[in-house]
Amino acid sequence: MKYEAPLEHYTANIREAVVGQGEKAIRIGGENTFPFHFFEGSLPDPPGLALEVLDIEPENWVQTLLDPFQEVVSEPVKWAKRCVDVFGAEILCLRLLSTDPMGKDASAKQAAVIAKKVADAIDVPLIVWGTGVEEKDSQVLTEVAQVCSGKNLLLGPALKGNYEEIAKAAMEHGHAIVAQASMDVNLTKELNIALCKFFPPEKIVLDTTSSALGYGLEYTFSIIENIKQIGLIHRDNMMQMPILADFGGECWRTKEAKESKEQGILWEAITGITFLLAGANLLILRHPDTLKLIKEMISEKQ
Amino acid sequence: MILIGENLNVMHKEISQAIKEHDPEPIRKLVVRQTQNGMEYLDLNVGPLTKKPVETMEWIVETVQEFTDLPLCLDTTNPVAMEAGLKICKKKALLNSASGTKESREKMLPLAPKCSAGVVLSVINDAGLPSDADERAASILESLEFTNEIGVPNEDIWIDPVLLPIGVDQRQVSAYLEFIQMIPDLAPGAKSVCGLSNLSYGAPKELKGLLNRTFLVMIGRYGQTSAIVSAFDGELISIKKGEMPEIVNLIYRAMNENDIDLSSLSRKEVEYVKTTQVLMGKSLYSHSWLEV
Repeated sequence: MKYEAPLEHYTANIREAVVGQGEKAIRIGGENTFPFHFFEGSLPDPPGLALEVLDIEPENWVQTLLDPFQEVVSEPVKWAKRCVDVFGAEILCLRLLSTDPMGKDASAKQAAVIAKKVADAIDVPLIVWGTGVEEKDSQVLTEVAQVCSGKNLLLGPALKGNYEEIAKAAMEHGHAIVAQASMDVNLTKELNIALCKFFPPEKIVLDTTSSALGYGLEYTFSIIENIKQIGLIHRDNMMQMPILADFGGECWRTKEAKESKEQGILWEAITGITFLLAGANLLILRHPDTLKLIKEMISEKQ
Repeated sequence: MILIGENLNVMHKEISQAIKEHDPEPIRKLVVRQTQNGMEYLDLNVGPLTKKPVETMEWIVETVQEFTDLPLCLDTTNPVAMEAGLKICKKKALLNSASGTKESREKMLPLAPKCSAGVVLSVINDAGLPSDADERAASILESLEFTNEIGVPNEDIWIDPVLLPIGVDQRQVSAYLEFIQMIPDLAPGAKSVCGLSNLSYGAPKELKGLLNRTFLVMIGRYGQTSAIVSAFDGELISIKKGEMPEIVNLIYRAMNENDIDLSSLSRKEVEYVKTTQVLMGKSLYSHSWLEV
């Protein structure tokens, strides 16, 4: 008798989100099964792998992280172009750290000018990230939405206290958003319900907030896994958005990552691969070698 | 279902003030209203009573007994106060609560046979709160054996599976439901009880009652024998009096069936169905569960 492996078939789909426009736009999500379960369902879109760009010169970055960006760390446009042209990034994440009210506290207008310059200089999709300070982010991200109208950026994080302003601006100017609720499935659903009252669910990507290997990674893993299970098995349509994991900062803050280049890259790569195995659809990475390593690990060609 | 009124609680400033000043009036009001609303026991949640435990507990119990004939459920973590209170209860009282922890076995549990009281026995043990139904069963079996040995028959044991807020851990609510159905096999003749309002801790204020009432119907169906509830939830009292059979039947249906046609239901009925689905673990809880 021939053995047939028992397979699960799920009747729900994760929504497919599109970031960017034209040929280089990327699609994430769309799967009707669990990560890498090619034998049992369809996973049309490979995970998105983004490289980070900061709008101000990084502070407290180890040399390993600065080396690939020699001479461009204080020029976000050149930094972005290097990520695309030299390191082959297919999507970028611009962090508007200059707007931090506890730091430089640059105005929304100033930040939006930088975002526009970066977006115009590259032909790959762009994620634009605030500082997580609700009031400031709602000014900054709405300004960015307007200045970059029509570019289909991915704007985040939209939080409980500012999702309305950010989502409305995103909708008006044709962008997608990242809805962030920290490490809690119930609050994730809560935010999604609130958003979906006026915002299209296919333009939402979820962020559960992420921890690094050795520093709480398993909590993030469980939450991501749980959201995917609730979406696919329980068919909860408020939990069927693709998921983003943003952990570069967490990884490179660890003493292990700082010890050596090899260990740092591995720390970030293992954290990233683990989140892909949990079900993340989009990773934001800090070191280009991590991007290369993860790409190799998940590509079909060996 | 035996309802125990929860409303006399030292967490309310008025009550803590009344106890401190030995002013019977605020206590009288609460006791009379709860008695009128059909409660069968009154829970006296008086806190740890660190100062003058004996004198204070005696004053509270005597004051309450002036205004009601209902049996009392004494709720303090202080064994000295507990003993003083149990001794002067006119009717067979309930000790609320004991558990399987070493400290409880040594100091609290022995007061039940000593004072001829019933005892609320929770599934907690020295390892904390069991995480699922089977672990609850294992924990309570051990505690039951000990409790029986010191002279308390199952009939006087009120098992508390410990109800956690649904917003904290929905899986614990499912574990609770699974566990209460096991109780008749684990402890024939024993009663079961919970602090119902804990379920909705953290939920939007206007929706707490809906969660509590729906869950009361569900656990009643699964054989739970009593609950500590708010005596001031009029709809809950109506359900208890059998005045809302359609809602009760609808909750039963929502427990059994997955696809209930909501289009033919009233808004209130829809709310009960959605709440049942969340409490059964069929859909993920969020504070806006009624809006999806």
